[in-house]
Amino acid sequence: MKPDTQVSPIVRCRGVTKVYRVGAVDVPALSGIDLDLAPGDFATLAGPSGSGKTTLLNMIGGLDRPTSGTVEIDGQEVTALSSGARAALRLHRIGFVFQAYNLVPVLSALENVALTLQLLGVGPAERAERARVALDEVGIGALADRRPAYLSGGQQQRVAVARALVTRPVIVLADEPTANLDSTNADGLIGLMSDLNRASGTTFLISSHDARVIDRSRRHIEVVDGKVVSDDRR
Amino acid sequence: MNAAWSLLMALAWRNLWRNPRRAAITAIVVAAGLFSVLTLDAMMQAWAQSSRDATLELLTGSGQIHAQGWLDDPVLDHRMPAPSPELSATLNAAPIGGWASRVTVPAVIQSEYKTLPLSLMGVDPASEARISTIPDMVVEGSYLTGPDDGEIVLGRHLLERLRTQLGRRVIVMAQAADGTLAQRGFVVAGVFAGNTAIEDGYAFTGQRTVQQMLGIGSDISEIAFRVPDNGQLGAAVTSLKAAAPELDVKPWTALSPMAAAMDSAMGSYVWIWLGIVFVLMAIGIVNTQLMAVFERVREFGLLMALGMKPRLILALVCVESALLVGLGVAVGFVASAALTWGLSGGVDLGGLAQGAEYFGGSRMLYPHFDMALSLREAALIWALGVLVALWPAARAARANPVEAMSHET
Ligand SMILES: Nc1ncnc2c1ncn2[C@@H]1O[C@H](COP(=O)(O)OP(=O)(O)O)[C@@H](O)[C@H]1O
Ligand SMILES: [Mg+2]
Repeated sequence: MKPDTQVSPIVRCRGVTKVYRVGAVDVPALSGIDLDLAPGDFATLAGPSGSGKTTLLNMIGGLDRPTSGTVEIDGQEVTALSSGARAALRLHRIGFVFQAYNLVPVLSALENVALTLQLLGVGPAERAERARVALDEVGIGALADRRPAYLSGGQQQRVAVARALVTRPVIVLADEPTANLDSTNADGLIGLMSDLNRASGTTFLISSHDARVIDRSRRHIEVVDGKVVSDDRR
Repeated sequence: MNAAWSLLMALAWRNLWRNPRRAAITAIVVAAGLFSVLTLDAMMQAWAQSSRDATLELLTGSGQIHAQGWLDDPVLDHRMPAPSPELSATLNAAPIGGWASRVTVPAVIQSEYKTLPLSLMGVDPASEARISTIPDMVVEGSYLTGPDDGEIVLGRHLLERLRTQLGRRVIVMAQAADGTLAQRGFVVAGVFAGNTAIEDGYAFTGQRTVQQMLGIGSDISEIAFRVPDNGQLGAAVTSLKAAAPELDVKPWTALSPMAAAMDSAMGSYVWIWLGIVFVLMAIGIVNTQLMAVFERVREFGLLMALGMKPRLILALVCVESALLVGLGVAVGFVASAALTWGLSGGVDLGGLAQGAEYFGGSRMLYPHFDMALSLREAALIWALGVLVALWPAARAARANPVEAMSHET
C-alpha cells in the first residue's frame, strides 16, 4: 500500500516556523517545515533532542500555533482557528499519545479510554462497548477496571493508544511513546501501532530516536535544528 | 452537554477523595464555620426571646390598650371605660391568648418609717395570672384572691425600704376622680420578687377596691394582652384598632423600645459573625483549592490536549469545590440541628443566671432550630464558598496544554 502522492494529504505543513521567546532571547524551534502526510502513512519523526520534534507535533495537533506558515488537517486550516475550535478539532480529528502522564489518575483504564467519547457526547452503553473493544485491541481488555497507578508503564501506553484510536481520528500523533519503556515493551507497543495502522488505515506520526521504532516505520522523517533534513519512504 | 456534565460529576467526585486529608480539612473548616453560625443564631434567638418574654411577661404583655393621651401622661384623667362588647369579643378571640384590665394611678405608700412614690395597680388576679408572671413570683404570703380583695401585694425590695413586713398595715394615697386626695389603709398580704425596678415601682390590690377608692365606677386605665405567637402580633393590633378606634393600641415594640432594640441587635450580631466565618472560610477554601489546582496542572493540560474546553475545566474545579463545600455545609448543618434539637428542652444558664435575670433574661434558654433561616444561611455560605473557588478554577482553566504537559511534577 504505497502512499499515493496524488491523494489529498491528511496533514499539510507549509513554511511552518516557531520561535519561542525566552526572556529577551528568541529561540527558534522550527525553521520552515514543509511536510505532507498521506492517508495511511506510518511515519516516524527522528532527530536529536531539541531538534523540534515535539514542537512540530504540537503544531500539527493544534496544541500550539506556529509563528508563521500554515498547517492543514484533512483540508482544514488549523492555524487560524480559535483555541476553542482547536480543542474541538483535537477532540474530533486527532489522537494523542504522549511520552508520559497520558492518563487521568482517578479514572480506570476503561474510563480513560471512554473519556474522549464522553466529551464527544457518545452515550454510556456505546462508549463502554467501544472502549472495551479498543482495550481488547491493544491487548489489555483484562485490565479495564484498573486505575493507572495499578498499571505498568507499557500497559499505560497501551491504554493511551486505545484512547487515541477509539474516536477514530484521522491521525494519531505520538510523542516519544516508548521513551519510558524497556525494549520488550517498546517493541510491543510499536508493533501494536503498526498493526493498528494496517488494520484501520489511520495515519500515524511518531516521534522517536529509538532505532527499533525507526526500523518498523514505513516512512522516516529526520529533523535537525527545526528543518526536515531527510524524508524516506520504504 | 449531559454527557459532559456526568463526566464532570464523576471526575469531581473522585478528585474529592484524592487527597482525603486536605478535603477533610476544608470540609471541617466549612462545617465548623456553619455550625458556629447556626448554633450561635439559635442561641441568640433563644436568648433574645427569653429576655423579651421575661420582660414582657412581667407586666407589659405583648401589647396594651389605653385611652388617648395616657401613655404621655398616665393620670386618672386619661382613663377609659371598661371594654365594649365588641372589644371584649376581639380580646377573647385568637390570636390573643389572654388579657387583663387594670387601674393604674400614681400614688404614694406610707409605712411608720417612710413615704415612697409608686404606681398603685388594681387588678383582677384571675385574668392577671394569664398575662403576668408576678402572681407566680410571690415569695411570702399569697397573691390577691379577687377583684374585691382589699389587701396589698408589695415588692420585696420596697418592703425592705419601708421597713415593714407581711401582715402589717401601710397607707396608700392617690388623687381621686373628684380631685381630692383619696387615702386607704391596706394589710400586706403578699411579697413578690421580680427585678428591683418592678419591686419598687408597683403595688397590687383588687381592681374594684381601687375603683371605689378613686370613685371612677367601672373605669379602667389599661388593658394588657398577650399574643403567644409574636408573628401574629401585627394582625392582633390591627383587629384591636378596628374594634376600638377611639383607643390607643400599641404593640410591645412601641411600649418597650429597649426590648425591641435588643431584639434586632441579636440579629445583627449573627450576621457579623457570619461575615467573620465567611472570611476565614474563604481563606481556607482558596488556599486548599489553589494547592489542589497547582498539583494537577499536568492533568488539566492533558484534558485540554484531549479536547476539553477551558470552560469545562473551570466547571470541573467549580463542581469539585461545590461538592467539597457542600459536604462541609451538610455536616455543619446536621451537627448544629442535632445540637439545637438536643438542647431544645432547655439550657440552664447556671452561673450566668444572676446577670441574665438582671438584664431581664430568664434562667433557662430554649433554643429552637429555625429551619428556614438556617437553610438560607447554609445556602449563603455554600454559594459564597463556591464563588471564592472560582479563582482557583480560573487558574486551572488558564493552563496552557503545551506548557502543562511539559510541567515537571
Ligand atoms: N515552551 C518553550 N519555551 C521555550 N523554548 C522551548 C519551548 N518548547 C521548546 N522549546 C525549545 O525549542 C526547541 C525544540 O524543542 P522540542 O520541540 O521540545 O524538541 P524535541 O522534542 O525534538 O526534543 C528547543 O531548543 C527547546 O529548548
Ligand atoms: Mg520532545
